[in-house]
Amino acid sequence: MAPSNSVNEAVSGHRDLALAERCRNGVAGAFEELYQAHAPRLFGLACRMVGRTDAEDLLQDIFLTAHRKLGLYKGESSLGTWLFRLATNQCLDFLRSRGARFAQVTDTLEEEPPAAASAGTMRSAVDRLDLERALTTLPPGCRTVFVLHDVEGLEHREIGDLLGISEGTSKSQLHKARMRLRGVLTGRTVVRGSEG
Amino acid sequence: MTCRDVQPRLSQFVDAELSADEQAAVSAHLDTCAACRAITHDLTRVRDAARGLGPIAPPDHIWLEIAGQIRLGEHPAPGQPAPQDIRRSAAWQWLGLAAALVIITLGAFLVMRLQAPTPAAPQAGNGQAAGSVESVAQELGLALQHYDNAIAQLEMLAKNNDGTIDPATAATLQKNLDVIDRAIAESRAALASDPQSQPALDSLIDALRQKVGVLQTTVALMNEIRRGNQEGAARVVAGAGKS
Repeated sequence: MAPSNSVNEAVSGHRDLALAERCRNGVAGAFEELYQAHAPRLFGLACRMVGRTDAEDLLQDIFLTAHRKLGLYKGESSLGTWLFRLATNQCLDFLRSRGARFAQVTDTLEEEPPAAASAGTMRSAVDRLDLERALTTLPPGCRTVFVLHDVEGLEHREIGDLLGISEGTSKSQLHKARMRLRGVLTGRTVVRGSEG
Repeated sequence: MTCRDVQPRLSQFVDAELSADEQAAVSAHLDTCAACRAITHDLTRVRDAARGLGPIAPPDHIWLEIAGQIRLGEHPAPGQPAPQDIRRSAAWQWLGLAAALVIITLGAFLVMRLQAPTPAAPQAGNGQAAGSVESVAQELGLALQHYDNAIAQLEMLAKNNDGTIDPATAATLQKNLDVIDRAIAESRAALASDPQSQPALDSLIDALRQKVGVLQTTVALMNEIRRGNQEGAARVVAGAGKS
């Protein structure tokens, strides 16, 4: 019989605590094990939020900060969740240091006229690389919301908490991001103004 | 509902986040409006494609740089105090680094030279033993390849020193790398003439490990200097001096 979810979670939680403890004690290979397990997801997050070039430096900072702060990890959430939150905050700090704001929308998607029936439509599934490229054309605010919601699966409430914006703003930013991506992917790019 | 009413709600519609009444009203509009139906279709595709975007494997050198920083003590294990008492100037620290590296690498080189090359006695074996010897040899080959890959990547990073590290320190680091390279070449030559020689293998692995260490120090130092972090550079140097 397959173990229940709660049993799986307990086992996984115990494993996370044990790994954190081994890292804290400087056991050889422990921190590399943690890095290898979580770096790809966090690097994906950082690439999509800040761009590939800055993501490499940021990933180093994320894991060096994690190494320094592992003493604060008490197992309230999974190590993956703890690291994800830490990584998201570092990406946001980076974007803020570059002047990105998350609540203010300086372009006016809502004022655009309704799309015409003859407008191009995606005929097939969206290619992954095309979507990655299209993401880079989004302003940081709506790109962040799109990555956190559609790629990483966070709820609007969680995004609101992380970014310091309301759920409603998160929803409207998400819609704006999807509409812009649709425009880029169907070759009808309408990128007017930018978010600071 | 008109298109102007419906279109701002379409993302919430595809996520089923509208109230039941609104969901029904948008659905009714979509039954009669091709333009809004097309947008809904596209938004669903964008959302579904985003869900399929997976993790991205970071380049190997990132872990090497993180490991180097941790090993050098810039980021001590949680609960251990960070190095704080760094009062010497960076120039003196660099001289300290240079001296420490020369002593470490020359010492290791001399130890390797003094080690008597005692060839391992050939072992009588059956088929199973031969198999395990083969698998050990394979693993050793992989380990050596791992070092070679790490060194190649670190060398590429270290070559980007466009004057970041001052010429005197760079020259000392290069001198150390030359010493280690000679040790690597000698160990490889010894292994080529006697593939079973354990001392030659130990020397090779030790020399490769030292090369990774010196290159990690070089890259970490360059990073700190580029960031304008004199304290960080001093800590890298202090950490290298302790190793």
